[in-house]
Amino acid sequence: MEMKTIIKAEPRSSAGTRSARALRQAGQLPVIIYGHGEAPESVAMPLHDVENSLAHGARMLQVELGGNTQQYLIKKVQYDHLGTTPVHVDLTRVALDERVKVRVGIELRGVAKGVSDGGVMEQHLADMEVECLMADIPETLHPFITHLELGTSLLVKDLELPDGVVAMNDPDERVATVRALVEEAEPEPAEEGDEASVEPERIGRVRKEDDAGAS
Amino acid sequence: MAMMPKRVKWRKSQRGKLRGVASRGNAVVFGEYGLQVLQTGWITARQIEAGRVAATHYLHREGRVYVRLFPQKPVSSKPLETRMGKGKGDPEYWVACVREGMVMFELGGVEEDVARNALRRVAHKMPYRCRFVKRRHGV
Repeated sequence: MEMKTIIKAEPRSSAGTRSARALRQAGQLPVIIYGHGEAPESVAMPLHDVENSLAHGARMLQVELGGNTQQYLIKKVQYDHLGTTPVHVDLTRVALDERVKVRVGIELRGVAKGVSDGGVMEQHLADMEVECLMADIPETLHPFITHLELGTSLLVKDLELPDGVVAMNDPDERVATVRALVEEAEPEPAEEGDEASVEPERIGRVRKEDDAGAS
Repeated sequence: MAMMPKRVKWRKSQRGKLRGVASRGNAVVFGEYGLQVLQTGWITARQIEAGRVAATHYLHREGRVYVRLFPQKPVSSKPLETRMGKGKGDPEYWVACVREGMVMFELGGVEEDVARNALRRVAHKMPYRCRFVKRRHGV
C-alpha cells in the first residue's frame, strides 16, 4: 500500500560529507532529484517522513518543493551499515504516462508438488526488473508454484505479469526450482588437537625454517 | 573438520586491527533471511561450524543454509609453560574477521518463523550480539 503524504523538501546549497552529516543529525535526509534533462537539485527532506513512506512500500514520493507539488520515482535508497536507516535517496523526474524500469520483488505462493514429494524449493530470483507505466508498478509479484514437480523450474516466461508490465530479464532465466534432496555425508568429528596439526599447503617458495616449523 | 584455507602464502599472520563497520556484505543477498552481527571481532572456524550444524539440524534438511564467512586468518599461540621468546608460536586455529553489520548466515526456502528459530540457535553459538534480518526487495 502506498502512502500519499506530501513531503516538504528544502533546497540545500552545501554538498559533501560534513554538511550531509550535519543534516542527518538535525533529522533531515539528503536527497538528490535528477532526470528529464534538467539540472540536478540537491534537497533535504525530513527523515521520519521518508522512512514512513519507504516502510509502506512507496515507489513514488509526493514532494513539495518551492511551492510546487510533484511526484518523483524513487531510484535508489542508500542505507547505513546495519541496513536500518536511510542515509541518502535518489529521486528521478518522471511523467505518470511514462514507462519506467523498476525492480520488483518476487514472493512465491503455495507449496510445490515436488516439495510434498520430498524435494527442496530453491528460489534463484528474489526480484526482477520490469518495465511499466509509473501508475502500474506492481508492489510484488506472487507467482503460484503449486504445479511445480520434482526437478522442474519456474522460468521468467512462465510468470503471469499484470497488464502493461513487461519483464526485462532473460525469458529462460530460472525463478525457482524444486531440486531433489541430496544426502550430505556428515564429516567425521575431528579429534582434539587435530585442527592444529593439519596445515594448509604453502604457495610459492618455502623457507627451510618455516618448513621445519610446519612439520 | 572445521573450515580452513586449502593453500596459503604465509603460515602465520599478524593480529591486525578491525576498524570501521561493514560497508560490504551487510545485506541479505542469497537467501530470504539472515543473521547480522552487531559487534566487530573474530569468529573461529569452530564457532562457524557449530552455527552451521545448529541450523542444518534444526531445519531437518529443509531449505538451504548459506555461510558467508570463511576463516582466512591463522591465529598462533605459544605452548603452555614455555618461556617468552624463541619466536612466534605455531598456528592453533583459524578465524574469520567480522565487522559490525556483516550478514554471517543466510537461510532460504523456509517460512519466517522456522528461519527465526533456526537463526536464533545459530546466534547462541556466536560470540557476539546478532540480530535477525530479512531481505529487502525492490528499491
